[in-house]
Amino acid sequence: MAKMDLLQGTLDVLILKTLSWGPLHGYAVVRWIAQRTEDALRIEEGALYPALHRMEQRGWIEAEWGVSENNRRAKFYRLTDEGRRQLNAEAESWQRYADAVGRVLQTA
Amino acid sequence: MAGWRRAFRLHLRGGTVKQDLDDEIAFHVEMRTQDLIDEGMAPHAAREEALRLFGNMAGIRRQCEEIGRRRERGRHWSEVASELRQDALFALRQLRKAPAFSIVAVFTLALGIGATTAIFSLLHAVVLRPFPFPQPERIVYLWSIDRGDDHRSVAPGNFVTFRRDAKSFERLATYTGASFNLSGDGPPERVVGARVSAGYFDVFGVKPALGRVFAEAEDRPGSEQVVVLSERLWRERFGADPAVIGRSIRMNGKPYEVTGVMPASFRLRSTEPWLWTPIALSAEDETNYGYSYLHVLGRLKPGVTPEAAQAEVAGIARRLETIAPDNNQNKGAHLESYKESLLGATTRRYLILLGAVGCVLLIACVNVANLLLARSAARAREIAIRAALGAGRGRIVRQLLTESLVLALTGAAAGVAMAYGGVRFLVAISPARVPRIAEAGIDGPVLVFALAVGMASSLVFGLVPALRTARPDLQGMLKEGGRSLGAHRDWVKTGLMVTEVALALMLLVSAGLLIRSALRLQQVELGFDPAGVLTAQLSLPRGDYPEPAQVVQTLQRVVDEAGAVAGVGSAAATSIVPLSRYNTSSSLEIEGKPLEGEEQIEGNTRQISSGYFKTLGISLRGRDFTAGDRPGALRVAIVNETLARRAWPGENAVGKRLSYWTDEEENPVWHVVVGVAGDIRQQDLTEDARPEIYVPMAQASEDLWGDRDISMALVVRAAADPAALAAPVRQAVLRVDPRLPVFDVATMDQLRATWTATTRFNMLLLTALGVIGLVLAAVGIYGVIAYFVGQRTQEIGLRMALGATENRVLAMVTWQALRPVLAGLAVGVAGAAAASRVLSSLLYGVTATDPATFAGVLVVLAVAALLASWVPARRAARVDPSRALAP
Repeated sequence: MAKMDLLQGTLDVLILKTLSWGPLHGYAVVRWIAQRTEDALRIEEGALYPALHRMEQRGWIEAEWGVSENNRRAKFYRLTDEGRRQLNAEAESWQRYADAVGRVLQTA
Repeated sequence: MAGWRRAFRLHLRGGTVKQDLDDEIAFHVEMRTQDLIDEGMAPHAAREEALRLFGNMAGIRRQCEEIGRRRERGRHWSEVASELRQDALFALRQLRKAPAFSIVAVFTLALGIGATTAIFSLLHAVVLRPFPFPQPERIVYLWSIDRGDDHRSVAPGNFVTFRRDAKSFERLATYTGASFNLSGDGPPERVVGARVSAGYFDVFGVKPALGRVFAEAEDRPGSEQVVVLSERLWRERFGADPAVIGRSIRMNGKPYEVTGVMPASFRLRSTEPWLWTPIALSAEDETNYGYSYLHVLGRLKPGVTPEAAQAEVAGIARRLETIAPDNNQNKGAHLESYKESLLGATTRRYLILLGAVGCVLLIACVNVANLLLARSAARAREIAIRAALGAGRGRIVRQLLTESLVLALTGAAAGVAMAYGGVRFLVAISPARVPRIAEAGIDGPVLVFALAVGMASSLVFGLVPALRTARPDLQGMLKEGGRSLGAHRDWVKTGLMVTEVALALMLLVSAGLLIRSALRLQQVELGFDPAGVLTAQLSLPRGDYPEPAQVVQTLQRVVDEAGAVAGVGSAAATSIVPLSRYNTSSSLEIEGKPLEGEEQIEGNTRQISSGYFKTLGISLRGRDFTAGDRPGALRVAIVNETLARRAWPGENAVGKRLSYWTDEEENPVWHVVVGVAGDIRQQDLTEDARPEIYVPMAQASEDLWGDRDISMALVVRAAADPAALAAPVRQAVLRVDPRLPVFDVATMDQLRATWTATTRFNMLLLTALGVIGLVLAAVGIYGVIAYFVGQRTQEIGLRMALGATENRVLAMVTWQALRPVLAGLAVGVAGAAAASRVLSSLLYGVTATDPATFAGVLVVLAVAALLASWVPARRAARVDPSRALAP
């Protein structure tokens, strides 16, 4: 369960970061994360949607129906101001976490 | 309006949440499939791969739908809440715009809700609150049945038999009241305690707060000098010192070891004992089947029904007839629920009172409904405009109900403030013996009750006006400038008036019956003259007065000393003060008349000094006791008239012989009747005199007092205010012996008041409620008629212009008002006849259908209604036609 939470938290911050470049539909978010991580993080693609919907409910992102690059009807997600604040907060805590773990590993 | 559009869309969206999700997922899978095909995969395989990559489709779909539903729900509630807030704010503005209406309505509701809340607070504190011990419903009293009386005390021999044989009980225990002189730590003090058998505390399932209760071994003669203190005594006399456990304290001149302290919660009544010592029944006691003085309590085993237990004790009672035929013939055993015994009568009384305040609340609601109806006419235009702008009927009803709710909750808040004072008042005037009443107050459950009553009231008084006001009669309303409402005959208003008058009548009849009961009770002939009599209890422990003769001498000196106090007309001693709630009785034997079974005479027994009859003002034929009636002289007795009639009908009792106890050879000890005293109310004001025998205390002392501690009472007749004699009489007693505590000093009028307290309480309360009901009903009638007159000003003006006289108009309007009043009176008489039957248990000396009360109340109500309608009718009759008809 703890692992799952960690994964979910990780997924949230990745999605927020992805959306910080601009509105995207769900599939584009997946593609973008895959490219950026060079497929290092294999996520179950479907898991993206509960995460997106939950964040929408929390008001971090907003959804709007629009038209995709290939002229299909698609749901686009956009970061809200609150979402941006959340991203900054989470990014910072991730950085601190990584630094701390890194320091421990270096001294070992 | 915006809220409505949102709400509308909300409903459509119920179906689209799913649709959106389907579209979103389909888009994803298709995009992925296309990408895979572009990478060179075959279309079919690409689709398979895309689905695989997507993962658990059904699970994800479920998760997303759940999130969607939660979101919709949250949005729905926040919409409802914001709408409610808007409505409430709007309602507040509306109410502020009509301050006179709002103040009258809130005050009316506050009266109704406040009174209801105050009574509920008593009901909650006394009845509904859980008991401070587990499963109180399993605790039962065991009584003896004797000659139709099923609440008789139990003889120790019978108790021991029940305890040994009955299998229905986890524990069977006994107690008997006893009082103790405390000395040593601090000033000498008299406290009421109880002598109880081991296991008494187990019956209640209460553990001591400190130390331990008695062990079985301590409940035996010789080892019984241990005591368990009540929390109150521990706090007040021993400063709540935990080190008191194990200490020795002096009681009745003997040392007792303190073993424990009971918790404060183990005190349901103000009359609860201050301490407990073991009863330590001796072997002799255990075979005593004749002297019945024990109260027996038991806790039923789990799974044993009261019926099964009753059957078992009845069986044991039958066996007792063969074990001790002399004392147990034709007797039986009766189990009574402890809760019922403690609270049954009070519960029924409170429910009746709750019904009465419910009537007041209903009248208040009816009044407010009337006010709202009157207002609805004034608001007709506003409502019509809102309806024209697209507000549906439901929406308008909701807005109007919110206004009612705001009104009711404001009324409830004011009512709670009233109840806060009301509860204190009720507790102050309540009979002191009601258990747990001291803790009554406004607490959580009571507040919840007030809130619920407020909300329910808002529906009761708000729904009908709201539905009527929201009636979409748009065109007519707008065209006629809002004048059409109320012009036709108004059944709703008539109905409300009928209801109001009927409820007020029921209340007033109940109040009237209780007032008459209280008067009757106050006028009960006691058979003696209570005015000017002071009573005081004395206790003479055997530790201090080993010889009966010493007791008698001391008492006689106390009587003489008290009689010499300035302002005292006469003084006497008695074993039992009338109306004091104590009693002793015995089976009587009449010389030459063996009486069997039902014919046997049970008589109250009293040991008195000479001068007793003179002091209390009891009539006496024959002679009083004198100093010559001493031990060894001829045994004499005085009987009351009831006993004289029962024992020697048609004959002169003086000179006859009777006996109330037997000597060691079971031979009756004969006493010669030297006088016949008038009957008095011995115990209950409402109970007819029982047979009673008085004997001189000097003659009783030698044989009957044994080594028991003697409790006697001093009665004193004062020339003026008896209460003023309390201090000098106390000093007189202390002059005889400074060790003698004087306690329970009370005037006879105070003792009498304890018997009328309940009736007085009921009467005061119902009278107050009746008056409130009457005033509210009158105000309600006035309001309706005034409104009616206002509505018909034009019509009245027209009639007058056409030649109607003032008197005719007066008659017309008054008749209009009196028709529903008369209907209300008719309905009310029927209702009151039903209600008073419920009330009959609280009545004394008056029947539930007392014609005088009904007639009186009818007159009072009719006059009030006439006045309430006459005032606006007069205004109508003075209408100036030229003004009324002016455009």
